[in-house]
Amino acid sequence: MNPEKIINQIEIIDSRIVELLNQRMEKIVIAKKFSEENGLAAGCGEVSDSVFHRAHSLLDDDFLKCIYEKIAGQSSAIGSRDLKIMAFQGEHGAYSEMASKTWNDKFVPIPCGEFSDVFSGVENGLYDYGIVPVENTLGGIVSEVNDLMIHTKLYVVGAVEIPISHCLLVYPGTDHREIREVYSHPQALAQCRRFIERNKLRPVNYFDTAGAAKMVAEKNKENVAAISSKLAAEIYNLEIIKESIEDYEVNRTRFLVLSRHENEGNGDKCSIVFSTAHKAGTLFNVLEKFASESINLTRIESIPSQMGNYAFFLDFMGASDDEKIKRVLEEVKRIVDDFRMIGCYEERKVK
Amino acid sequence: MKNLKLAGKKTENQKSIIEIGDLRIGEGLTVIAGPCSVESVSQTIETAHGVKKAGANMLRGGAFKPRTSTYDFQGLGLKGLKILEMAKKETGLPIVTEVVDTRDVSWICEYADVIQIGARNMQNFSLLKEVGRVRKPVLLKRGMYSTLSEWLNCAEYILAEGNPNVILCERGIRTFETYTRNTLDLSMIPAVKAETHLPIFIDPSHGTGKKHLIEPMIYAAIAAGADGLVVEVHNNPSEAKSDAQQQFTPDEFQAIMVKARKLYDSVREIL
Repeated sequence: MNPEKIINQIEIIDSRIVELLNQRMEKIVIAKKFSEENGLAAGCGEVSDSVFHRAHSLLDDDFLKCIYEKIAGQSSAIGSRDLKIMAFQGEHGAYSEMASKTWNDKFVPIPCGEFSDVFSGVENGLYDYGIVPVENTLGGIVSEVNDLMIHTKLYVVGAVEIPISHCLLVYPGTDHREIREVYSHPQALAQCRRFIERNKLRPVNYFDTAGAAKMVAEKNKENVAAISSKLAAEIYNLEIIKESIEDYEVNRTRFLVLSRHENEGNGDKCSIVFSTAHKAGTLFNVLEKFASESINLTRIESIPSQMGNYAFFLDFMGASDDEKIKRVLEEVKRIVDDFRMIGCYEERKVK
Repeated sequence: MKNLKLAGKKTENQKSIIEIGDLRIGEGLTVIAGPCSVESVSQTIETAHGVKKAGANMLRGGAFKPRTSTYDFQGLGLKGLKILEMAKKETGLPIVTEVVDTRDVSWICEYADVIQIGARNMQNFSLLKEVGRVRKPVLLKRGMYSTLSEWLNCAEYILAEGNPNVILCERGIRTFETYTRNTLDLSMIPAVKAETHLPIFIDPSHGTGKKHLIEPMIYAAIAAGADGLVVEVHNNPSEAKSDAQQQFTPDEFQAIMVKARKLYDSVREIL
């Protein structure tokens, strides 16, 4: 133990205090949404008396009461604001959270354990929006999200494409020479495979990139690093050993913004999903309709829905109130099964 | 010379060209300049802009320093590498920095374009093998008590591990002369050229250790046919944490560079 180590530990504790305070405020916002959705009386954020009766010899009652007065005050202030929630899968510091901030930094990003939690939470009205990754230039489609997209009733109200740049993060003060293992999501590990090999590290799969960063900060494990975003380094107060460690520069992910309600604003891009009968030329006939009206298709994806049956996702440029597009979609509806307009929305690309 | 299977010449005119981005080392005059040590962001970035303006081709700067005394400034380590990376982003100059520990080789390669083996580590065979296993060009300085044969055998260690990109650098040797920090052995330029196909650089800063001797030695090195120079430049030499006596200001360096480039062109015309 040396003084520098203790200072590092204090810094990590401080970042956790901030993280926990933020978590508490998130719960206030969610509780408010929940009571609105279910017609219950709002009211939360009161401090339970039991907080003051725990045995912590260094914390006297006056000090705690003073701190909690502030916290309760801030909680009720936040509870009175009309905040929009954007749910994402992963821990704070996930690339999805970066996408959320890019889409609208006024929205409150709330972490969820699974993609299905994001979908069901938005469907139930617990969250206003959800943001999910659909495809990555190196890793291809995110199959779980695409599967959920087939069955959901949610609309796409926006899309955002951001560059993904990975960082190697360690507990502050860790000697780079002592790093042996590196934790991250399998896809992030794969994207940095050559970096990991060059530096003779052992890759260890973790459920989530930001979760790996959080684990490194909380466990204070020696000889361990995480591959995660720069945002995660800031949130968990970790030291960046190296930025931009991905093997290929062109690493971009496209995210969709989901809502229970159709996009009311303007859009220049549309997404549809449909399946076709097992008859020769059906898919061709669909594509032909778009070609004959010179509509630019930007994505076509087939996802197995049942054995031998496929759902097709089709993205194209144009607005849904455009006469040309209305005409094509009417014709397409007649020749496909299970047609659904997923949304007409604006897409943002970050360089 | 014996046992120089890879470092020795196979034909009279054999010459290695080492490519770093658009730079071709071994063709023309390549100038590496920068501070002895990376001390801070502003010091490094300011100096980098200065040497770039003066016409340097690469930026040097020590992050891991092999100092004579353990109580002297040992370098900023990884933090220093990050500062060099920032300087590269700002100026586009490739980075040359020294490695002193085998455990650092792969990490330094993540930041640097050329890794330097300093004079004190010339015969550190484990370190030579380790840098032989990567593909980054290696600037191999001559040990202060080494013969040409010993030096070239060290280059052979790197080449034999599979790294073909070795640049030799003469930086002065120990003699009984004490006026100069070291005795700069410029006869090594034609000697190296006669024995190997590897590029040969001259470091007149360490070679003399005295500011007023560096400039004439730069010209002499060019006249003798050096492929490149390594010159210490600091934005504020009097405040430098190491080698304060032998670092030029960017302005002084720029004045010398103008003459050096002209001299190089005339020498090429005459010889």
